Amino acid sequence: MTTKIEQPLSQKRLYRYHDVIGLLSAAGPGFSGPVSVITGPVDELYVANRASPKQPEAVRITRCTKEGDFLEHFGEWGEEPGQFIWVTSIAFSPQGELYLADESSNQISVFNANNSFVRRFGEPGSGPSQFDRPSGMAFGPGGNLYVVDTLNHRIQILTTEGDFVSQWGSLGAGDGQLNMPWGIAIDNAGGVYIADWRNDRVQKFDADGKFMMSFGSSGDGEGQFNRPNGIAVDNDGDIYVCDWLNDRVQVFDQAGSFKDVLIGHSGMSKWGRTFLDANPDIEQKLELATQNIEMKQRFYRPVSVHIDAAGKVFVADCYRHRVQIYQKL
Amino acid sequence: MPRIDKPLLAHLLRRAGFGATFRELDRYSELGYEATVDELLHPERQPAIEEDVLERYYIDWKESRNIEGALTESVYRMNAYAGGRPLQEKIALFWHQVFATGLAKVLHEKTMLNQIDLFREQGLGNFRDLLLGLAKDPAMIFWLDNNFNHKDAPNENWGRELLELFSMGVGMDGQENYTEEDVQSAARAFTGWTIDDDNVASIPFGKTPWLFRYLPEDHDEDDKTFMGETGNFNGEDIIDIVVRQPAAARFISRHLYNFFVADEPQVPAWQHTPPGDPEAIKILEEEYFRSNYDIRSMLKVLFNSDFFKSDRARFAKVKSPAEVVVGTLHLLGDFKFPKRGIYDVALGCRYMGQDLLNPPSVEGWHTGEEWIDSGSLVERVNFVADQVSDIQQPGVKAIVDTLLDGTLELDPISVIDGCLELLGHVRLHEKNKNHLAGEVRSMLEKRSGLVAGSPEDRQATENTVLHTMKMIGSSREYQFA
Repeated sequence: MTTKIEQPLSQKRLYRYHDVIGLLSAAGPGFSGPVSVITGPVDELYVANRASPKQPEAVRITRCTKEGDFLEHFGEWGEEPGQFIWVTSIAFSPQGELYLADESSNQISVFNANNSFVRRFGEPGSGPSQFDRPSGMAFGPGGNLYVVDTLNHRIQILTTEGDFVSQWGSLGAGDGQLNMPWGIAIDNAGGVYIADWRNDRVQKFDADGKFMMSFGSSGDGEGQFNRPNGIAVDNDGDIYVCDWLNDRVQVFDQAGSFKDVLIGHSGMSKWGRTFLDANPDIEQKLELATQNIEMKQRFYRPVSVHIDAAGKVFVADCYRHRVQIYQKL
Repeated sequence: MPRIDKPLLAHLLRRAGFGATFRELDRYSELGYEATVDELLHPERQPAIEEDVLERYYIDWKESRNIEGALTESVYRMNAYAGGRPLQEKIALFWHQVFATGLAKVLHEKTMLNQIDLFREQGLGNFRDLLLGLAKDPAMIFWLDNNFNHKDAPNENWGRELLELFSMGVGMDGQENYTEEDVQSAARAFTGWTIDDDNVASIPFGKTPWLFRYLPEDHDEDDKTFMGETGNFNGEDIIDIVVRQPAAARFISRHLYNFFVADEPQVPAWQHTPPGDPEAIKILEEEYFRSNYDIRSMLKVLFNSDFFKSDRARFAKVKSPAEVVVGTLHLLGDFKFPKRGIYDVALGCRYMGQDLLNPPSVEGWHTGEEWIDSGSLVERVNFVADQVSDIQQPGVKAIVDTLLDGTLELDPISVIDGCLELLGHVRLHEKNKNHLAGEVRSMLEKRSGLVAGSPEDRQATENTVLHTMKMIGSSREYQFA
């Protein structure tokens, strides 16, 4: 891991490993259990850190450049306005506000462009605008907020103020039914993709929740999933799915056919390099662990995937406290 | 159909598990005693918990970056399995006590948890295989310095504790079980048994589990003499010789008896202090050899024995803190699905004196009455009393609803007896029962102005039941298994 690695290609050679940003840290440059990665209004990365309840100071949003330069962190653990405990995802509205889902409080908090808390909405329950552990969020072309309401096994459409618009989904394995859904992505045409977590599949709906197609089944073969969670769609219509318990990210075309798989090829990050230069004894021990080297390069519970306009694929590599980056070729 | 002895089943489940709810006891009584024992002895036949859901919500556990997280994961799993695979968790707790390894030195939570998984998976299996797994366990290797046990510079720590604390004990019947030369030979036989990485830093990208590695170039290939046998022994040969010793049979039998039947003196006293029940130990020793060192077979004999079923064995053991915490959570039906708050509850074990995954020394925790001091007793009483009187807990509500099903016309004795039964066939000494009956009578009499059967009457009766449960949970008797 600490030796320089040539920029390897993905299995089908459609993606090249580009870089890694990360370092386990409870503050400053670094992440602690990153669960959501997105690009902000000025093309910077925002990473939500779930961390550990026994290390509440590590619960925060980290902002950095795509080249791995730390900018700031904000937000804190707690139940007061502007605080959060079990963050599951973050998303930017078309107006540039940051939305954060907290599945502990069953609320969604909103922060402005200065990262200051503005408002929050939601409460525990199964009624309109109520949540039972909200997770993925995305904004539709019309500006409405789509929220994955995990333990209610449904998707809710809300206004940016949190007012109820509509919903769909119920517990089950049939078309249009859901079982503890997690991730959500919306394409340019308004198509909604849901990572149907416990059904090991992806379902596509139109913007109103009408079922369109599904793909995937349980397993570890191509096109199969073991609890898919993070999901994204790029400008070409390709669909990226974090195949969580299989520790990989699979790529599909817009028809749901398998295209490629990313397994993680992490080298050393800029922040990690700084740390190891100051702690050469640790680097020496890391290199002694020869049986573990490949394990340290690979994804370990990838949770969130995001594609920017330049075709860079950012994967929140949760248990390795980093974001691995691939370039679409 | 034979009469089902529910108090006996409750006794079995307190020892082989963490107690049983009254509904579970109903099911076990349908099954019968021996079939229940068989079910307990084969946890692999019962459903596994939903690991994906667990990891979904407690995302920091898989990597366990701090001791509190590791402790909490252990408690959560014990509670989650307390209804379906209780003996799997109890035997893991047993071996964690015997093969005490601690994070104070190991400092690698995931590696420690891997050791507990070894106990879960092999704890009911063959003792020889378990010892071999232990000898290759990275947490144990690091804990007892076998990574510093080299061909040219042997380190005797692991070799010594293998004999003294993990397999035979210093002596029995007034005799010593091994010599210093045996210790030295055992240590030499395990040279080259090491781990891949002794790095404990979690930076930059978190920890990766340590892995066992055998280095043949660092192994002592010369002849060794061990327990009267001579040869070019490797570690596996040492374990093969160890498990054949009568001392190993005695050692493991006393440990099983101490953990599952009745408190024995602490291990260091075993050389000169005979077992409390020599006949029981003899029966277990015979099964040890007959079954070719099979722990499951020994426990089958133990749980079906008269000495286990006897009235003398019931409530004869002080509950360990883990038994108090997990037993209470299980009774309440709490934390069966991931939610916040489990950390604070799990840390109750630490506050009561059992810092799971971090025993005070390689000897493990001293058990029996040594669990109790003034501080830990207060923690125990408060923990149980606060929880068992919380009507929001599903297990508590089920008890109250069952007791008040159909009638609110209860006399003090029926309230107390009902609570004792539904809490798991707990016993109260007559004196304490009479004292409690006075309190309950006083509370029931205060309902006299209420309309019989009214919501106010129901609430007052419910409060009486909850108070009764709280008092039982606070009692001395409740601290015994």
